[in-house]
Amino acid sequence: MENEEGLQADGESDPKAPIPVSEVDAWENIRDDDIMQQQSAIRAEEAEKVPFIGDKEPLSVLAAEYESGSPILLKKIKVLGEKYGSIRRTRGDGNCFFRGFMFSYLEHILESQDQAEVDRVTTNVEKCRETLQALGYADFTFEDFFALFLEQLESVVQGKETSISHDELVIRSRDQSISDYIVMFFRFVTSGEIKRRSEFFEPFILGMTNATATVEQFCKSSVEPMGEESDHVHITALSDALGVPIRVVYLDRSTYDIDHVIVNHHDFIPSAGHLPSAGGGSSETTKPIVTLLYRPGHYDILYLK
Amino acid sequence: MTSSSAPSRKVLSKIACNRLQKELVEWQVNPPAGFKHKVTDNLQRWVIEVNGAPGTLYANESYQLQVDFPENYPMEAPQVVFVPPAPLHPHIYSNGHICLDILYDSWSPAMTVSSICISILSMLSSSTVKQRPADNDRYVKNCRNGRSPKETRWWFHDDKV
Repeated sequence: MENEEGLQADGESDPKAPIPVSEVDAWENIRDDDIMQQQSAIRAEEAEKVPFIGDKEPLSVLAAEYESGSPILLKKIKVLGEKYGSIRRTRGDGNCFFRGFMFSYLEHILESQDQAEVDRVTTNVEKCRETLQALGYADFTFEDFFALFLEQLESVVQGKETSISHDELVIRSRDQSISDYIVMFFRFVTSGEIKRRSEFFEPFILGMTNATATVEQFCKSSVEPMGEESDHVHITALSDALGVPIRVVYLDRSTYDIDHVIVNHHDFIPSAGHLPSAGGGSSETTKPIVTLLYRPGHYDILYLK
Repeated sequence: MTSSSAPSRKVLSKIACNRLQKELVEWQVNPPAGFKHKVTDNLQRWVIEVNGAPGTLYANESYQLQVDFPENYPMEAPQVVFVPPAPLHPHIYSNGHICLDILYDSWSPAMTVSSICISILSMLSSSTVKQRPADNDRYVKNCRNGRSPKETRWWFHDDKV
C-alpha cells in the first residue's frame, strides 16, 4: 500500500485499484497519475455544471444531444417520445439514482396528495429503522437522516403550516445540506434491506463483483459511502424496503433489429406485503411511482406524456 | 506533528455538534476496548489514547490518535492521524498519516469514531512486521507544508495487513 502524490480531485477513483506503484517506471507512473487527476477533475467540473436536480425539459433535448450520434439511439429516443414527454436531469456524482428517486417520489406525493401512500411509506420507514437497530446500528448514526426524510415527506403534504410548494421542493433538492442527507437516508435503507435479506441478495452481489465480496463488505464499500453508484441490487433493495415500485427505462445501443427498435424497461416491483395495495401484485397491475431513464452509468427522471 | 496541521477550522454545524455529543455519550458508556479518550470541552478535536492489543507486535505500547471533525461531519470524514511518534507499521507514515480506506474514499456517515478506532486497532493487530511504508520519506517530505492526509490521493493495494 502506498499513496500517490498530488491533490485528490474527487472521490471517484477506485480505491481498490491494484496499482503497484513501486513496481512501475516512475515517469510512467507520474504521467498516469497526471492523466487520472485531469480526468477526474474534468468529471467533477462537468458534474458541477448540472445542479443536483435539474429543470424539467422536453424530451427533444435528448434527441439534440445525440444529433450526430448513433442512429440506434436516435430511433430509440423517437420511440421513447411516444410515451414520455419530458426529462429532468440529475447530477452525475454517483448519487444520481438515489437523488432522482428522492425528487421523483416527493414530487409524486406533492402532486397526488395521496395520504394513504404517505402513511404506508411512513410505516415502512419505521420498519427500516427497526431493521437497522436489529442489525446493530447505533441510533445516532442514522436518526438524523431518517428525521430529515420524514420532515420532507411531511412537508410535501399540503394544507399545513410546514407545507412547501413545488418550487420549494426543487430548491431543497438542490440544497446540499438537505439533498445529501436524504440520499444518505436511502443508502441506510438500502444497506439495511440488503443485510436483512442477505441470502436473497448474496448471489447477485457475488455475480457482479469479481472479488469474493461478502454482503457485509458490499454494503460497506458500495452502498453506504456517498458517491458509490447504484445498480440492480440497490434499486431492488430500496424498492422492496420502502414498497415503492420503480420503472427503469434503458437507453443504450443494444438492439436486435435496427428497423424495429424497442426501448426496454424493467419494473422493480416490491415483494408482496410491502405493496401499496395489499393483495395487488403482478407487474401488470402495479403502476410505477418513480420512472427513471438509465443511460450507461447514469439515471435521470422521466415523465409520461 | 503540531496542531498547525489541522484542517482549516470552521465551526461545527448544528447537526454535526448534535451528532458528536451523542457519540461522546455513547463513548463514555461503551468505549471501544483498548482506547481512552480524555473528554475536554473541545468537541471538534478528540485526542485518543490507543493501547496495542495483547499478543500483537504492539502489545504494551501506547500511541495517541488525533481526530479533527469538519463542520459537516458526519457527511464528511474526520481527519485522523497519529500524533508522532506513530507506530511502526507498513500503512502508517512517520508523520502520523494513516493509509486506511475508510478514512478517505470509503468513509460513510454510518461509521463512528468508535468504529474508526476498532478498524485502526485491527490494522495494527494484523501487522506481521514493524516497518514504515516503502515510500515513507518521499511522502513525508511532500507533506511538510502541513498538508492534510485527506488531500492525498491514496491507493489501497493491500487489504491483508
